[in-house]
Amino acid sequence: MFKKVWAIFMRDLKVNIRDFLSLYIFVVPLLFAIAINIFTPGINDTTVNLALLEGENPKQISYFKDFAKVEVFKDIDEIKKRVEGRDNLVAILPEGEKYYIMTQGNEPEGIVEYAKLLNTFFQLDVQIEDSNAEIFEFGRTVPPLKKLLVNTSILFISVLGGMLIALNIVEEKVDRTISAINLTPTSRRSFILGKSIIGLILPIYGSIAITWITGFKSVNFFQLLMIVFASTLLSLLIGFIEGINNEDFMNAAGSIKLLFLPLAASVVAIEILSDKWQKFFYWSPFYWAYKGNDIVLSQNGSWQQILMYSGIVLVICSIVYIFLAPKIRKGLE
Amino acid sequence: MKLWYSFIKEVKLASRGFYFYIELFMALLLLLILIFVVPENFESRQSEYIHLDLPKTVKKAYIKEIKDKDLDGKVEKVEIENDDKVINSRLYKTEDKEIYIIDDKKDVIKLADKKQKIGAVIKLDNKNNLDYEYYLQGYESNRLKNLILIIHNVGTDTIKTVFNKQDVRPLSTDYEVLTDRENLIPSFLTFNGSLMGLFIIAAYIFLDKQEGVIKAYAVTASTVREYLLSKVGVLLLTTIVSSFIIVVPVMGLKPNYLLLLVFLFTTGFFASSLGLLVASFYKNIMQAFGTIYLLMIAMIIPNIAYFIPSWNPTLIKILPTYPMLEGFKEIIKESGDVSYILTISLVFLIIGLILFEIANKRYKKTLTV
Repeated sequence: MFKKVWAIFMRDLKVNIRDFLSLYIFVVPLLFAIAINIFTPGINDTTVNLALLEGENPKQISYFKDFAKVEVFKDIDEIKKRVEGRDNLVAILPEGEKYYIMTQGNEPEGIVEYAKLLNTFFQLDVQIEDSNAEIFEFGRTVPPLKKLLVNTSILFISVLGGMLIALNIVEEKVDRTISAINLTPTSRRSFILGKSIIGLILPIYGSIAITWITGFKSVNFFQLLMIVFASTLLSLLIGFIEGINNEDFMNAAGSIKLLFLPLAASVVAIEILSDKWQKFFYWSPFYWAYKGNDIVLSQNGSWQQILMYSGIVLVICSIVYIFLAPKIRKGLE
Repeated sequence: MKLWYSFIKEVKLASRGFYFYIELFMALLLLLILIFVVPENFESRQSEYIHLDLPKTVKKAYIKEIKDKDLDGKVEKVEIENDDKVINSRLYKTEDKEIYIIDDKKDVIKLADKKQKIGAVIKLDNKNNLDYEYYLQGYESNRLKNLILIIHNVGTDTIKTVFNKQDVRPLSTDYEVLTDRENLIPSFLTFNGSLMGLFIIAAYIFLDKQEGVIKAYAVTASTVREYLLSKVGVLLLTTIVSSFIIVVPVMGLKPNYLLLLVFLFTTGFFASSLGLLVASFYKNIMQAFGTIYLLMIAMIIPNIAYFIPSWNPTLIKILPTYPMLEGFKEIIKESGDVSYILTISLVFLIIGLILFEIANKRYKKTLTV
């Protein structure tokens, strides 16, 4: 049986190499990782953007630079134009002896309050040297948002694996090679397995590549693989079901689109929603995979937790499989 | 006229396939999520763990100050689980914070470490002034750390007085703020329409290629342009219908629907032309898929930034989904910026036309027998 599975995989690989697909499979995770590295440096800055008048008060400019991102402009008209831009930037401008804060009017409340607070401190001449606070750090260097991006990319990559399988199968269908398989000694199961391998390699290679390149080198890769493996099985299952049930590319593409929904919803639920909303997302395997990846990336997960999260993903997958097995079998006939 | 017939024929064909209904189902699902799952506004409060290492009277005064800021003025006793240990604490919820008062300093440090939140210990120095110890994760920016360092330098009352005297002058006051639920709509519209349109139109073309429809087309009187336009038309129709399904029930009469129509049309046209062009470089969907997936992922990045106002790198502003999100946001507001919407609509239309013409040229060479 393994020989046949291997033969199907090798054939897939050959076809895919001819189609440059293997190149994409190799390149996509790398691009994900590079994009994350390019975008994240500014991510953890939670302060405001301020616009100030150039040369008006150098002391003020250097004071605010300690607490906010500062842009300087030559005159008030230029500043006005900048404040009216589509992002959130407020100006602190002189008028007589005093300073006033110019806003566009649509900034989030927090941003205006931050600017008010900074101007208050400047007026009161509050200096860092006089601080009565002391800061201790736990030595973490990776901002949570970077972790979020890496985690979401890992999920996207496993969905990509599923999409590959689905499209692979639909292609076989459109080319009418599936019925031909039924005439060969290859069993249905071998065919399923053979078709799945390519979609299995991508998430495993991809998640390791992304984690490594984005600088999470000290995570426990065995723990990561555990979660990735579980979520990959899910994508395989979905990819296969989509592939079997859809007769053409249009339907496959449309139903894959539906897949992004539970993925995005799970990430949003964990990151934004409060505790009382969490239970509404327990059904989503992406929810558990995300949680699992999160503790692996933060390096504070115990094996017990990892096993629990990947176990839940597996159980959800098995339920879906049991539910849909007859359909899959029928679809292959 | 021929174009109209081709379009009607395509619509009829599409209405027989599953795809059309998947789109409608997806729109309905998004609508249900918006109405029943997403709260009007998300509650997001920062958690802080605090230990008060202070003499009784000072401690009392300090707690009273926090209690005054509490939303319902009541203290909640909560148990926090941390590494199999249950830590008792008193919770105060203010407008933007959840403050946990904890009896043991060690627990504060442990919780700040494990839960990755801010921890603080407040004590008296040898001159009997308040002194603060902050426990941070390490990835906070220096600017934030500087602010934390100075925040207690001056008494709260002095800060309050000067703070309240700050003169804030908005350039305009008639901006409306969208609720969190409404704020999700631009993201849904961009994703459902343009982003996926890229992928769907490519699938559409390859399906026809594989089934031999395209060769059959070559012997009809229709031109390649009409064929491509009729495909784009079906896609635009589904996008417009599904977008209206989402917008109308949530926003009611507030948005300018004519503008929405124009914007959906131009952005959808741009996305499908881009999809057509990309697809023209490949022989089958498997080949095209990688490039399309990458394009889609790149275009999702502004979607992430959209939800994080403080993160707005210049690089994402050149991605087409950035103006799309901003455009949809303006449209669903009652007092949206009409000139902005029309300007970017025009830009999308022009780029869309250019892409479409290039795609058309390429298909003329490859699609005909």
